[in-house]
Amino acid sequence: MKMPWRRQKIDISVQPGVTMGVAGSEAAGVPSTEAGVIELQGVECSYPGSDAPAISEFNLLVKPGEFVSILGRSGAGKTTALRVVAGFERVSSGYVRVGGQLVGSSFVHVPPDQRRIGLVFQDYALFPHLTVAKNVEFGLKGLPAEERRVRIAPVLKMVGMSGYESRYVHELSGGQQQRVAIARALAPDPVALLLDEPFSNLDRQLRAALRRDIKRIVRESGATTLLVTHDREEALATSDRVAVMGENSIEQIGTPEEVYKNPASAAVAKLIGPCELIPGVFRGGVVVTEAGVFPTRVTTDIRMADGQQALALMRASELEIVLAGEEDQRTSTVEMTEFEGEFTEYSIRLDSGTLLRVRRRAEDSVDVGSRVTVHTRGDAKVIVFPV
Amino acid sequence: MTISDVISTGWKSTDGKRPPAFLLVSAAIVATAALIPVVYLVARSINAGSDWIDIVWRPSTAAVFGRTFLLIALVTIISVAVAVPIAWLTVKSNIPLRRVLSVAAVLPLVMPSFVMATTVIEMYSPKGVLQGWLSGLGVERLPDIYGLGGATLVLVLMTYPYVLLTVRGALRRMDPALEEAARAMGYGPVHTFRAVTLPMLRPAIAGGSLLVALYTLSDFGGVALLRYQTFTSTIMIQYQSSIDRTLAAVLSSILVAIAVLLLLGEGFTRGRGAYHRSTVGAVRVSRRIDIGRWRWAGAAIVGIPVLIGLLIPVAVLIHWLVRGLLNDQQLLPLLIPARNSLYISLLAAVTTVLAALPIAILAVRFQSRLSRFFERAIYIGFGLPGVVVALSLVFFGINVARPLYQSIWMLIFAFVVLFLPASVGALRSSLLQVNPRVEEAAQSLGRSQWRVIFSVTVPLVMPGALAGGAMVFLLTMKELPATLILSPIGYRTLSSSIWSAASEAFFAKTAAAALLLVLVAGVPTAYLTLRGHSDGADESDRVAESDRQSPAETAEVAQ
Repeated sequence: MKMPWRRQKIDISVQPGVTMGVAGSEAAGVPSTEAGVIELQGVECSYPGSDAPAISEFNLLVKPGEFVSILGRSGAGKTTALRVVAGFERVSSGYVRVGGQLVGSSFVHVPPDQRRIGLVFQDYALFPHLTVAKNVEFGLKGLPAEERRVRIAPVLKMVGMSGYESRYVHELSGGQQQRVAIARALAPDPVALLLDEPFSNLDRQLRAALRRDIKRIVRESGATTLLVTHDREEALATSDRVAVMGENSIEQIGTPEEVYKNPASAAVAKLIGPCELIPGVFRGGVVVTEAGVFPTRVTTDIRMADGQQALALMRASELEIVLAGEEDQRTSTVEMTEFEGEFTEYSIRLDSGTLLRVRRRAEDSVDVGSRVTVHTRGDAKVIVFPV
Repeated sequence: MTISDVISTGWKSTDGKRPPAFLLVSAAIVATAALIPVVYLVARSINAGSDWIDIVWRPSTAAVFGRTFLLIALVTIISVAVAVPIAWLTVKSNIPLRRVLSVAAVLPLVMPSFVMATTVIEMYSPKGVLQGWLSGLGVERLPDIYGLGGATLVLVLMTYPYVLLTVRGALRRMDPALEEAARAMGYGPVHTFRAVTLPMLRPAIAGGSLLVALYTLSDFGGVALLRYQTFTSTIMIQYQSSIDRTLAAVLSSILVAIAVLLLLGEGFTRGRGAYHRSTVGAVRVSRRIDIGRWRWAGAAIVGIPVLIGLLIPVAVLIHWLVRGLLNDQQLLPLLIPARNSLYISLLAAVTTVLAALPIAILAVRFQSRLSRFFERAIYIGFGLPGVVVALSLVFFGINVARPLYQSIWMLIFAFVVLFLPASVGALRSSLLQVNPRVEEAAQSLGRSQWRVIFSVTVPLVMPGALAGGAMVFLLTMKELPATLILSPIGYRTLSSSIWSAASEAFFAKTAAAALLLVLVAGVPTAYLTLRGHSDGADESDRVAESDRQSPAETAEVAQ
């Protein structure tokens, strides 16, 4: 099968500077009329034996050179979405396009081997019976042996695995295996690179380093990338845009800053950062809660009416506590402090039993057991969601 | 988009994946082939019509029935009684030479029953070696070895390793916390064994017993030499002595019915309890129990069956060989039968593994109603005695596949049908260890499903294929009834030439051939046993999951 987009893809990869420009600057700079490299439209996919679909009404558009992450809790169907793109799951309705070609719908299914998609599995899935070089070479069948060797050298160099060509997989560390998995996926010059929870099998310290490495590798290769993760840090730190999944479908998509600053729903807010949602009543621009009265803003175009029940988004880093005076109403108790060096995190117990977290600079500490009032730092506005 | 892509969305399998057509086709061919013997047997028996009822109700049939059941019951009970203590001693206790003994205890498997029988007669018959030694002590005459006693002895020695392997596997996998919990609740060691350990071993004991019972039902050489008439030996006599083979066919279908009863019986003993661990996490290796001054007694309990079942028979064979060479007696010609045996066993091993591959891949990777049906179909060989398969193939050869009849391919066909479950089992457990993501990775790198199987799946299941092939090789080397019935005229293998000399009581002549057979059969057995030991447990132990799903997985433990 001829791949019409291949020519275009190769052009991108020989001019890394150009691609970096695209990927590095705002993805919004790409004209929205341009077809996406990966495009899912109203996709529904269900596993046999279960009534509810794993994903439904799933819409996603990944533009050329873009790095998009799908963030969702486990079981939300994000891996299913990835497998739909790769061609391992059939869709029951909707359309899947890769490189502008329809590859999946209720009546069309292009098998995975004809989609030219580079896939990095959660457990890497390297071939245990082959060396590193043979693993990377695997997708280059059809090329003469000499050319294959020429092709794998720069790829291995890019992931920093030169010199490991003749090692077997079990002789590599987890991080090295992952680099090889990425090299293997990139070697055949795929239309898009899919990463399934790429950091979940690594320990915490290695994770951050590898995250930066992958971001660099992906930029260098210019590959259009779709990453799936349940780790908000990963999603926010690596991608140009983050797609936050609710149940079965995407609830919000935008740049990391947008999604963090203006979460479209309480569910998105919970996924995107540590926070508490406390109930309150909306009253003329402020929300009255047990913890205090806060100025508000909304992130959706829903208008809040006076007296409406609302949920106020409380983020530890945006809150401040002050020792309560005699006349203060709505006070709460400092239950526990956790010293973290520069910052101290306070657990504040409201009288109803709800726990809030406040993160503040370590100096002028507040003792456990003190009665305090809760404010937003600099009287910043609190996001409210209608109940 | 090709038309086939469009059509293919109509396929429904339980996990939504569509198996490639070539897998389906080859699996269908294998399953059909495996069903041929049964279908033929049934057809033949139906043709017998009213004779059928007549034969079934004959008093002589009832007598054979009774004798067969008596033998099965005795052999099974004694094998369990021998094997369970050995299993416990080699896994849980601190007997001396534990590692050596635990390998040695499995080795009587390599002895073919007819070789075992000749050495047992030589040693323990009223005119045998033991009588010679004992007469000095005033023992007048040993009880007659022929009949039930001798047959039981031979079969127990050959079959207790089946129970040993399954029970040992279950003991190794059993969470020691269960026994510790019982001890903490105030149960003593003996009470703990009775209340916790033994019930947990029940499925393993049942699975092993099933193998013993099925083997006993199907054995021909051993019982025939010891002159104990069972269904299998009656069928062989009928087949060899009369022109009309209806009787043999009808008796064969009764034999199949007994085998099915045994299979069902095993399922019944499982009950409804769960036998797997209810928690996740690594199984701790339990501490071996110090049995103090009973250590040497324990070693003796493990060692005695090895002595009687392996060392003495081999010693007898060596004695015959040396005596024969010294006295310049005529020995059986070795070269041609050995070559034929090797050739047939290798051919059977390769063919069976190749036939097993599509069934195993389909069963593990593309579960659907169809793949389950294929798997069930090939399990039939597990319950069919060799004599039945061979007889059906004779009818099939004469009536349908004339060109195959009297060629070694008919013999290979029989071995494939008989030993498919063993190799499917080995491949299956190997395949289950291959991460399916690895195959998906290969596919996403542009290989079609067909190429993925050859470039990734097959290399990765090589250990399982080798283990399965080794099992088939061993079983083929030892097999007698099918070899006798289906070998082309004049085609002699080690087992058939040993048999023809032994059945005329020229035991000593068989020495060289029998030794060679035991040695060659020992190679795959050693491979299977040692291979398993390098990963800390017998291969066969490892695959004998205590929560096994089907008797065919018991079959793979058999060797």
